[in-house]
Amino acid sequence: MTSVPSLLLIEDDDAIRTALELSLTRQGHRVATAATGEDGLKLLREQRPDLIVLDVMLPGIDGFEVCRRIRRTDQLPIILLTARSDDIDVVVGLESGADDYVVKPVQGRVLDARIRAVLRRGEREANDSAAFGSLVIDRAAMTVTKNGEDLQLTPTELRLLLELSRRPGQALSRQQLLRLVWEHDYLGDSRLVDACVQRLRAKVEDVPSSPTLIRTVRGVGYRLDSPS
Amino acid sequence: MTAPRGRVRGWAAARRTILAGLRFTSLRLRLVVVFGLVALTAAVSASGIAYWLNREAVLTRTQDAVLGDFQQAMQTRASTLPPHPTQDELQRAAGQMANSSQRFSVLLLAEDGDGDTVRGNSDLDTFTLEDVPASLRKAVNREQEITSNNKYTYHLYWQRIVQDDKPYLVGGAKVIGGGPTGYMLKSLEPEAKDLNSLAWSLGIATGLALIGSALLAQAAATTVLKPVHRLGIAARRLGEGKLDTRLRVSGTDELADLSRTFNRTAESLEKRVADMSARDEASRRFVADMSHELRTPLTAITAVSEVLEEELDAESGSVDPMIESAVRLVVSETRRLNNLVENLMEVTRFDAGTARLVLDTVDIADQITACIDARAWLDAVDLDAPRGIMAHLDPRRLDVILANLIGNALKHGGSPVRVRVRDEGDELVIEVRDHGPGIPEDVLPHVFDRFYKASASRPRSEGSGLGLSIALENAHIHGGGITAANSPEGGAVFTLRLPRGSSELADAEPAGGPGKPDDGGTRPEGDA
Repeated sequence: MTSVPSLLLIEDDDAIRTALELSLTRQGHRVATAATGEDGLKLLREQRPDLIVLDVMLPGIDGFEVCRRIRRTDQLPIILLTARSDDIDVVVGLESGADDYVVKPVQGRVLDARIRAVLRRGEREANDSAAFGSLVIDRAAMTVTKNGEDLQLTPTELRLLLELSRRPGQALSRQQLLRLVWEHDYLGDSRLVDACVQRLRAKVEDVPSSPTLIRTVRGVGYRLDSPS
Repeated sequence: MTAPRGRVRGWAAARRTILAGLRFTSLRLRLVVVFGLVALTAAVSASGIAYWLNREAVLTRTQDAVLGDFQQAMQTRASTLPPHPTQDELQRAAGQMANSSQRFSVLLLAEDGDGDTVRGNSDLDTFTLEDVPASLRKAVNREQEITSNNKYTYHLYWQRIVQDDKPYLVGGAKVIGGGPTGYMLKSLEPEAKDLNSLAWSLGIATGLALIGSALLAQAAATTVLKPVHRLGIAARRLGEGKLDTRLRVSGTDELADLSRTFNRTAESLEKRVADMSARDEASRRFVADMSHELRTPLTAITAVSEVLEEELDAESGSVDPMIESAVRLVVSETRRLNNLVENLMEVTRFDAGTARLVLDTVDIADQITACIDARAWLDAVDLDAPRGIMAHLDPRRLDVILANLIGNALKHGGSPVRVRVRDEGDELVIEVRDHGPGIPEDVLPHVFDRFYKASASRPRSEGSGLGLSIALENAHIHGGGITAANSPEGGAVFTLRLPRGSSELADAEPAGGPGKPDDGGTRPEGDA
């Protein structure tokens, strides 16, 4: 990303929207704002932003629904603004396809760090590829194919797959994955990993309920296997 | 593994049943005993009287008949004998006398012409003069004066005797005017047998009455105890907090009254508790809503105040110092307000029971180090934690607990603060010890109270006043706890105990370790 990243902020409260726009603009982002989910979806089609910051509590269609609708067509990163961290909101939001979440009251610096971390996930780094059964990960083109077909992965899902594929057969703890993929500090929320693994399995596994590629290692975390 | 456990459970159930039975035994037993005593008294006295009356009636009737016959026989046979009868005559007379319907043995005594005593026996084997008691003989042979009340010089006498365990009636009379003396012996065995069987019948009847009374007592006890038992269960349920417990009221007896009273009590209790919890709920919701409402403007203020702060940091010097200090105040107070609202929300979540655990398996030493590091406390904290102690818990909540305990220790005790981690099997023990003056004894029970104002030695200048309370709640939600005490070497010690969580930790391989694809040690699961 050489150009200034453009963000879409969907938040119904005027004060928060204005304040966050101010703060994010100061951090060097281009920010477009919308007050409702409907407006946000319209702006998304018109402006094609790099990332969406989405409030959960919206009048009309709520944040989760907006998230689900975006995921039907787009794989761009979504960061949720939620009321509390241990709430069901987080789980629902992550299941709807959000990449990360930030708890209100949001600190501008924290939000900025999360945005940059999410955007970094899409950056390519190596020029090789790896194959796991019918799954081929092309690190040069940043694409994943299964049986020759392109898979639509969000940057977070892609990064998670890349980190796992870099250490095939080795179990990575949730906290390790949080540091590697989400760049969270020691207090990362393990539900982020679990939700992302679920979404990833839905896309790469033959039978998502009995995974053969991304295996759970009880009491530890996850590992990527070549199906035998 | 399951079979012995099942058996143990069976024993336990059986023992419980027996204990439950014993619990009712006192009243049941008392009822049975009282019923039994009443039945016994009634049956024994009724049987006794019946037996006694019967016995007298039977014996008297037999006796009267026998003695009547004997008397008549004496008159008709013995008095017709010559004054000095021979042995043969006597013997014949005795035989004739004995030959009556009553079947008694007869012994006749008379003096023959030489002044010798001659005897006549109806049957010599069974009845001799030795069988007649001396007292009877004496009474029979006694000559009585004739008065207006007494017309005869001799009377008929009788006595009941027992020979060889068999009851007999012995009677004797002397013929008036120098006739022979006659004795009779009548076996009362048939009568005794009749009376014996009567006694047996009465005994059996008494036994039956006792059994019947016991059964009746059981039934009565059951009718009384069943409602009492139900009442007991209902009271226990009420005590357990099931305030909608009601009893079915049937009948108009005292127990029904009691049930009605119970129902009324339960109803008013339920209503009162409902009122109280509604009020409590309302105030709690108010706090929750308030803190939630505060959050929206706070989010905006926080974001903007950060912009202002960055502005100051970027261009310090060019801003009016007064404005700068004003901005710094706004920024720091906003942060404080943020903390307060955050803590308030946390507390309302605990109060409402909506706090949730987000569990993960973590290395405790790593977590503590990171917690200290993130707050720039590394120099002030002396950490004694072996690496590799894994626990299954909510890392964020552990961080809140540690930050509050260590922050509190630093604030009140000053550095160095010692943090020691021990692995006690199923439990994880983290000790936070400061080197301050310790906690006064009167404050010690209140250190975890919300907004508790401690004495001057532990001033609470900053902080929300909720920190330790939140730390404790966070420990509770993990199933653990925190205790506060003063160390004998000085300083306050807060001891956090947390269960280490799932047993699966034991067979888990260390994080990041090599794992072969089909390694038996690691068990891939179907789902995350």
